[in-house]
Amino acid sequence: MTEQELDQFMGRLRSIGSRVDPVPPAVMSAARAAFEWRMVDAELAELTYDSWVDDRELAGVRGRGGRRQLTFEAPGLTVEVEVADGAAPGLVGQFVPAHRGTVELRHGTGVLTLAVDDLGRFTAPQFPAGPLSLRCTADAASPVETEWVAV
Amino acid sequence: MLHAEALVDDVVTDVLAAASGDSQAWDRLVERFSSLVWAVARSHRLNDADAADVSQTTWLRLAEHLHRLRQPERVAGWLATTARNEALRTARRAARMVPVDDDFDLLVDQEVHDVDRRILDYERDAALWIAFRALAPPCQRLLRTLMADPAPSYAEVSAALGMPVGSIGPRRARCLERLRSITEGTAASLESEPRMTV
Repeated sequence: MTEQELDQFMGRLRSIGSRVDPVPPAVMSAARAAFEWRMVDAELAELTYDSWVDDRELAGVRGRGGRRQLTFEAPGLTVEVEVADGAAPGLVGQFVPAHRGTVELRHGTGVLTLAVDDLGRFTAPQFPAGPLSLRCTADAASPVETEWVAV
Repeated sequence: MLHAEALVDDVVTDVLAAASGDSQAWDRLVERFSSLVWAVARSHRLNDADAADVSQTTWLRLAEHLHRLRQPERVAGWLATTARNEALRTARRAARMVPVDDDFDLLVDQEVHDVDRRILDYERDAALWIAFRALAPPCQRLLRTLMADPAPSYAEVSAALGMPVGSIGPRRARCLERLRSITEGTAASLESEPRMTV
């Protein structure tokens, strides 16, 4: 095929793709709504460890269930989280170093406010599966937000 | 070229405006690039629910990074890279959940027969789509990414696939040639249904 024929063929394929597999309306709405979650006052805690992706020892293990460990790091605070697997996951977490404080668990469709105890621990009941971010406030320190990750 | 530069200017303006709180500018970015993000998720063979999660997570990440982007003119590449990383994470997670062999292809073939056939206007388009699904995964991944509308630049495709920019043109040509040869086979076999071999 000539370059022009390739372009035409690709154009036809694009046209078919947009009819067979368009971006679903709910996905468009969720993308627009993502803007409302934006906050500019917080430090970002990056996802530095995800047991389901990074854990080589478990790479060959297959099966339903199990817990997933996630670590988020910001300059002054590390947040370790263990998420129970399922359609409605729950989680337990820990501030390192340990601080009292609060966590706002944001799950894409709502927010749960969690208390953090003297040992830096917090627990969340079930919430809908999907994107998750924790807005963490330790003592009087400025807030830290974890990167969004799908759970 | 002037046209392309004007588009880049518009995108930069929208990124900067959205970073300072303009939700209409954000909506324009979503309008322009949601197809690219969706195409990247689909090119990693994710199902509807997983592709929706990857898309939402990618846009949430852009929202939190808007005011931190060092090169707003490269926002499309940033979205493509983020969607790719999140799609790979989701694909690996999904692989842990699947007890036996991946039967996604069977599912897709079934969908092609039951649903797509009704949607498509022309039999020959159906034949082309069936042929596309019969391509080897690397070609499907490349072509599905290139199907984003508006058409992505090779720099964006490079970000989406982790592949050198210079290799995309030649690979695209090879995959399209391969697709055409399968289409010719599929078109012939469609006429002799039900004994279709793809």
